[in-house]
Amino acid sequence: MFGIVAIVVVLLLAVFAGLISQLVGHGPNEVFLRQMTNEVGLPKGPNAHFWFGADLAGRDLFVRVLYGARVSLLVAFVATGISVVVGVTLGLAAGFYRGKVDTVISRMTDVVMTLPVLLLAIGLVSACGSSQQGCLGGTLKPGVRLVIVVIGLFSWPYIARIVRGQVLSLREKEFIEASRALGSGNMRIMAREILPNLVAPIVVYTTLIIPNNILFEAALSFLGLGVPATTPSWGVMLSDAGTVFTVAWWMMLFPGLFLFVTTLGFNLVGDGLRDALDPRTGR
Amino acid sequence: MKQHWRYLATVAVVALVAAACGGGGGTTGTETPSGGTPSGGIPAGGTLMLATPSDIQSGWDPAKEYEIIAWEVFRCCLTRTLYSYTGMGGPEDTAPMPDLATAMPEVSVDGMTYTVKIKPGIHFGPPFEDTEITADDFITAFGRVSSDVGSQGGYPFYFSVIKGFDDANGDPTKITGITAPDPHTLVFELTQPTADFPFRLTMPATAPIPAQAAEGHIKDYGRYLVSTGPYMWEGSENMDFSVPAEQQKPVAGYEPNRAWILVRNPSWVNERDTDTLRPAYVDRIEVAVGGTVEDLANKVDAGEIDFVYGATPPSTQLQKYLADPELKSRLHSEATGAIRYITMNLAIPPFDDIHVRRAVNYAVDKDGLRRARGGDLVGELAGHYIPDMLTGGLNQGLDPYASPNGQGDLNKAKEEMKQSKYDSNKDGICDDPVCDNILTITDKSFPYPEQNAILTDNLAKIGLKLDVKMGDRYTFMYANCQDPTKKAALCPSVGWGFDYADAGTYGEPLFGSVGIGSSNYSNLGASPADLAKWGYSVTDVASVDDMVAKCSPMPIGQDRVACWAEVDKYLVEEVAPWVVWLFDNNVVITGPRVINWTFDASAGIESLDHIALEGGGA
Repeated sequence: MFGIVAIVVVLLLAVFAGLISQLVGHGPNEVFLRQMTNEVGLPKGPNAHFWFGADLAGRDLFVRVLYGARVSLLVAFVATGISVVVGVTLGLAAGFYRGKVDTVISRMTDVVMTLPVLLLAIGLVSACGSSQQGCLGGTLKPGVRLVIVVIGLFSWPYIARIVRGQVLSLREKEFIEASRALGSGNMRIMAREILPNLVAPIVVYTTLIIPNNILFEAALSFLGLGVPATTPSWGVMLSDAGTVFTVAWWMMLFPGLFLFVTTLGFNLVGDGLRDALDPRTGR
Repeated sequence: MKQHWRYLATVAVVALVAAACGGGGGTTGTETPSGGTPSGGIPAGGTLMLATPSDIQSGWDPAKEYEIIAWEVFRCCLTRTLYSYTGMGGPEDTAPMPDLATAMPEVSVDGMTYTVKIKPGIHFGPPFEDTEITADDFITAFGRVSSDVGSQGGYPFYFSVIKGFDDANGDPTKITGITAPDPHTLVFELTQPTADFPFRLTMPATAPIPAQAAEGHIKDYGRYLVSTGPYMWEGSENMDFSVPAEQQKPVAGYEPNRAWILVRNPSWVNERDTDTLRPAYVDRIEVAVGGTVEDLANKVDAGEIDFVYGATPPSTQLQKYLADPELKSRLHSEATGAIRYITMNLAIPPFDDIHVRRAVNYAVDKDGLRRARGGDLVGELAGHYIPDMLTGGLNQGLDPYASPNGQGDLNKAKEEMKQSKYDSNKDGICDDPVCDNILTITDKSFPYPEQNAILTDNLAKIGLKLDVKMGDRYTFMYANCQDPTKKAALCPSVGWGFDYADAGTYGEPLFGSVGIGSSNYSNLGASPADLAKWGYSVTDVASVDDMVAKCSPMPIGQDRVACWAEVDKYLVEEVAPWVVWLFDNNVVITGPRVINWTFDASAGIESLDHIALEGGGA
């Protein structure tokens, strides 16, 4: 229950961040230097008008945390979507066709899983983010899109493996034989017979991948390689806090708390769904 | 200038008090610590422990390095030149003094020939300690500077006035304008009168180099540098130039991205009477490379290092030292003659419109930018481009875009914007599509992200929406701001200091078309043909080449100063290619051991050869 409540609250705050910002009267990038920084540029803490205090540029941290939820959730959901599409497709193909197809896809999965993900992501984002043109002929340019693609590229193996295992089991069932006997081709069997039976594990593991991807984005942003620094992001905020948290504890507390609550919420929901939907738990 | 004298007085008092009250142990003015001769009660000896966040850019090659932090080390420690500076601060510190030369040059009546006599009997450091410095060694150095490869990223344009220099491309024999009638005489023949030529002979690229050491090291001489100064790289004596260049081992004292270690140059110690400019109190200088500014600040607080070299203290540390009267005396802030500014590309709409550029000048919260950098300590708000110390104060107080407390004036900004062709409904907000996604290229390190936020907020209020791209200063920011084909509209993370104390070092590289592609980010003076070649739709931009050409050859003196002041005034009022926001200060926090703190006004940074350690570092 806590997980669901946490996710719903964070989602609502992200969706209504713009409205809340207008009600508070502070934009996410609006600077309040004189009110919220001191003579040497250090930020001031929470008060009646700035509930979470300000950051180093004198911006309202409360509003930025809400907008940061948008970025973190957007990146996480879209990247997860990419990894689910890729993972399900490859896992389905590997489990259904078996043989050489399975061998190739499984080895590819193994390779991607053994790669040092964070280091490679850092390298890719650095290489494509170091120039305006990006890389791959401008396909991957610095920004949110690059982060989404990178995260999606490294997250699909987990889903692929789960799906492959499920498909290996399902393809031997009688209803598959029956469908084949009725003249259904492979694509129809995969789409109409197997895939619907994979919804439960896909939903469960998707829910569990989301918090990982939220943290992945935060880590890249923390290292200065994620979303542009002008875009509110929990990871960027935590990175900014690193140099001044001894005198500006709020810069670390609030983004960190939201990040913690959001990832905990998704983990709890994922665990709950797994308990509810996995027949092997005996429910 | 006044500020320098106040600091010298303060430093002198501190030094005297420190010497009188000096803790248990340590030398006094009457003792002779290792390697040095005491001078005026200031103890010599010890190891100066420093740290710097990042390495220099060109491997310590004197023909390539073009940064203050490198130039100071060359001046104080590694390279003597024909002329140099006292490093003492004060008005005399910005005038060249004879160093390896016996006296100021003899100049022909037409101003085109300079004859310099070299002090005899001065030797290179190890492993050339038996080799006397002669005229040919200077010619070797100029040969390297004339090479496209040898001077890449440097400043060879200063020497184009020497006959044959531009055609030499690395062959010193082709520089017909430099001759050596005898081993201790150099004659420079110029293509035009160049009143500041003695200043150019203070630059590190002109330091003598043994021909054998230069051979095979056109790209990487810095790691094989043979010293002529009070210090040398540790391990210099082990360099072996008798083997082919590719088999030679670089000097041990410079470990790229890890450490710079300087030890006394025995040749200089033996001949120190020939050097009236450098006291060189400490025996050894160790600079650890790497770490964040915050980490290094903590080390200063803990007494592990004496100060951070080449980086402004973080605001958390500034706050602590400002608040504590006992610590405040260790906080130093001196005017450098440098500026910080935001460039606008005149060839990119909407910045091709003078009213937009003026609107930007009014809109920017300069005090806010300064606050983000550390507050009042980091410098005075600027209102014009060339620092007053270079224009005799003729433009002191000039600030056509002044605003209350320097916080920006939105009303005036809007009034200016209304006159622009990019404000169709004349409401003071830029509404043309060119006002969106303005490509802004910046440095990603402190304090630029915070300053970007301020700038973005300021300019959004007049309808200018920035597309900010942040990256490494050298591989990203400079690469995109210097290259006109990259079409950076705004470059806000830039600064400039004089190469020597003459306004021409601002004028030509920053405002002249010769500076396009290196330091003129606004593309001032770009020709229509060049603009078309680079892919710009704008066909015509402002130029001050005529004014620069008028001032450059003028003799040193009041007329020259007035000429440059006029260029400054014209630019800021009639062209406004920049928003200049700070006359920069050098801010340093020193550890408790440091005494005789001295600011090198010629470089705009602390003077490493004048700093001493309490008790000689004991």
